[in-house]
Amino acid sequence: MKKEERNAAITKWVLIGITILFLGIMLLLPLIVVLVQAFRGGIAAYMSAVADEYTIRALLLTLEATLCAVILNTIFGLFASFAVTKFDFKWKKILTTLIDVPVTVSPIIAGLIFILLFGRRSILYEWLKAIHIKVVFAVPGIILATIFVTFPFISRELIPIMEAQGKDEEEAAALMGANGWTIFRRITFPHIKWALLYGIVLCTARAMGEFGAVSVLSGHLRGRTNTLPLHIEILFNEFQYIPAFAVSSILVVLAIFILVVRSVLESRGKKEYES
Amino acid sequence: MKQKRVIPGFGLSIGVTLTMVSFIVLIPLACLLMNVTKLSIGEFIEIITRKRVLASFYVSLMTAFVASLINAVMGMIIAWVLVRYEFPGKKIIDGMIELPFALPTAVAGMALTYLTADEGWVGSLFARFGIHIAYTRIGIIVALVFVGIPFVVRAVQPVLEKLDPSYEEAAGVLGAKRSRIFWKVIFPEVLPTLFTGFGLAFGRCLGEYGSVVFIAGNKPYETEIAPLVVMSKLQEFDYESATAISLVMLVVAFVVLFINNMVQARNAKILNGGN
Amino acid sequence: MYVELKDINKSYGDFKASKSINFGVEKGKLIGLLGPSGSGKTTILRMIAGLETPDFGEIIIDGQVVNEIPASQRGIGFVFQNYALFRHMTIYENVAFGLRVKKEKKKYIDERVRELLKLVGLEGLEKRYPSQLSGGQRQRVAFARALAPNPHLLLLDEPFAAIDAKVRLELRSWLKEMIEKLGITSIFVTHDQDEAIEVADEIIITNQGRIEQMGTPLEIYQDPQTPFVASFFGQPSFLKDYQSFHSFEAIDNYTEAIVRPEFVNVTKKNEVQKYKSSASEGVVTEVSFRGDSVEVQVSVNGEKLSAKRSLELQPVTVGEKVDVFVYRMLVTEGKRVHLLENQSLHEDSVII
Repeated sequence: MKKEERNAAITKWVLIGITILFLGIMLLLPLIVVLVQAFRGGIAAYMSAVADEYTIRALLLTLEATLCAVILNTIFGLFASFAVTKFDFKWKKILTTLIDVPVTVSPIIAGLIFILLFGRRSILYEWLKAIHIKVVFAVPGIILATIFVTFPFISRELIPIMEAQGKDEEEAAALMGANGWTIFRRITFPHIKWALLYGIVLCTARAMGEFGAVSVLSGHLRGRTNTLPLHIEILFNEFQYIPAFAVSSILVVLAIFILVVRSVLESRGKKEYES
Repeated sequence: MKQKRVIPGFGLSIGVTLTMVSFIVLIPLACLLMNVTKLSIGEFIEIITRKRVLASFYVSLMTAFVASLINAVMGMIIAWVLVRYEFPGKKIIDGMIELPFALPTAVAGMALTYLTADEGWVGSLFARFGIHIAYTRIGIIVALVFVGIPFVVRAVQPVLEKLDPSYEEAAGVLGAKRSRIFWKVIFPEVLPTLFTGFGLAFGRCLGEYGSVVFIAGNKPYETEIAPLVVMSKLQEFDYESATAISLVMLVVAFVVLFINNMVQARNAKILNGGN
Repeated sequence: MYVELKDINKSYGDFKASKSINFGVEKGKLIGLLGPSGSGKTTILRMIAGLETPDFGEIIIDGQVVNEIPASQRGIGFVFQNYALFRHMTIYENVAFGLRVKKEKKKYIDERVRELLKLVGLEGLEKRYPSQLSGGQRQRVAFARALAPNPHLLLLDEPFAAIDAKVRLELRSWLKEMIEKLGITSIFVTHDQDEAIEVADEIIITNQGRIEQMGTPLEIYQDPQTPFVASFFGQPSFLKDYQSFHSFEAIDNYTEAIVRPEFVNVTKKNEVQKYKSSASEGVVTEVSFRGDSVEVQVSVNGEKLSAKRSLELQPVTVGEKVDVFVYRMLVTEGKRVHLLENQSLHEDSVII
């Protein structure tokens, strides 16, 4: 028995050691390297990289695309999860599969499909040109790509929660004559507010960091169609390591912030669920 | 007689949902398929059996498979450590798992490249033994391992948490050794979800672009993944090839998703007593 | 008839949940829909409420066909199986909800909510949330909430299923009293025969989407019309060859005989058995203590019978030879049921 206990303790610490080593190298070290390299040239170099005109333009474009994606996907997420969880209808399974398609396809394919849809060889191209709208290699394309890759992020957080909650409460309220808006506001929404917030946070993170799809549609015009991740790529490929890492550090800080928010929201949600 | 819906708001929510799904997912996807039909079957096969394309499929599949396998093993260990053991810093480690979701893949790819290059902090250790990480297939695997970490951990963790301790106690009372309890009692319970996590990570790795471009070096036949071939075809405005290759990637992604769903459904059936 | 269902049919895909359901409920009555799970009783309740739509047939409430009237305008109070209390609202808000959506005056709402909370005995708990209440209290809230908008018809889906056994008994009589006091027509669904017998004025028995029988609890108990109803109550024994027992009228082509434990008298050889001549000899195969009585399993000519014996009597032991007298049995013949009395009982009354 003694021997068995000692073995268990050894197993425990060996496994903990492996975990810490693995995550330390794979997750922590990349963060550290970004921060260390960002400040290698001193604060002044860091500030000049971050405050660079192109960096700020890229940041603004990233924020613009992110905001659009978050707003649109929030609206979609709320309607879609309500429809899917509170009603029965034919082909529900197909609909939920379709909603999840954007996260299964490669970001490159996501970019490609919008090039095919709006690009030079599309039937829409001439028409869009006539009304002076440029989608591909322009800001609308970047926004579209961002919306696409983050499309199910909010509904994915909401659907399981709403599914678990069932529809009894909504039915009870409907039986008493409450209208749709009242039911949503007073019955459904209080259940999902933390999950919604978490979904928004995830959506924001992914939208700000999206690289592949945006890369396909961007055209890489500095100061015009470069988002933050694309800007970083250009800097890195030009061997401007300090600026590249300095700009990255903004996104690293953001990622850490998101993780903190996530754990706070998760414990909030759990508490609420248990009470 | 038509079934009347009790909860109001079905029309509006399904309307908004279907409209948005159509515009953002369905129409773009249909556009991709329409572009494929412009090719004859002979042309299609010619494109996807070009040596360079086949090599890129092989590199993509092989690296994604190895990375997901590593993630399955490490994910199991990490989930086990997080559920079963108490140790200082556990909360932080648990919170870090989602970092690959929160950190833009481009930043991760860049940081990992910098770390594993022959003169980098980690790369220099291996370079002494003649092992090169960055700009080789090993580098691609490293990047994909980073991307896939959360999938397996987050799939297995809840199952381990819910695992009834009385199972193990029962086995313990019957005199089974710890290792035997693990392999005969716990592991079979976790295996289906482990597979799900593996499948999700594999699917994600197949399409991954952002983190891989930096570290891969992108040598044709050697370290060129399929999404990269699509990207380069797009830059050459060779949309036919890009579309054809994308279709193959799309089909593979759906097959992976389909198998995964089948395993999940089967598992749910077993757990719920076959309804 | 206050509520009437005419030839109601309902399927879910291939599954027929209701097959030509017909029944009527008088005003002010408390009706129990009783049946095993999957027998279609909840579907009936939900169709009356308007939560489901029948494929065919008419539902009439207070003389009006309500098929096309939305659930919210049928004037119905509904108590859900798990109560479906609004978890994010206080008890007060839960009860007030139905009045608020009807845009009643604030003062009226306040009065009505307080009146109802007093009625169900939950004064002082207004500010609590459902999660802070016991199962029984939650049921009372659900009851008060359903009553708040003054419904004419109260529907309750398995109202006691989520409550532990002890409180359940209390709540049963409480609910019966409450409904009698209010005089509101009520229909409740249950799978528990004791519950139905104790609470309902009339019972409707459902099985496989059909109605087997409707009547007062006593009628249904004493005079079952179908084999299903005959076998539904108690823990009956089934006899293949009932004619091996003495003094029962013979029926050709019978299917089987159903004997409830209370139909059987088991006596020791040394005890007095008034109808000894018509009793059969049996062997005790099992004796189990049931708290207020002893359950005895006996084997008679290879048929197994279950009976009860008072604790006051001398105990019987396994393997003991005993006299078994059957007072009556329910003999099924196809879809018909015959109640057969032991004829020696008649002879007896004739002699006296």
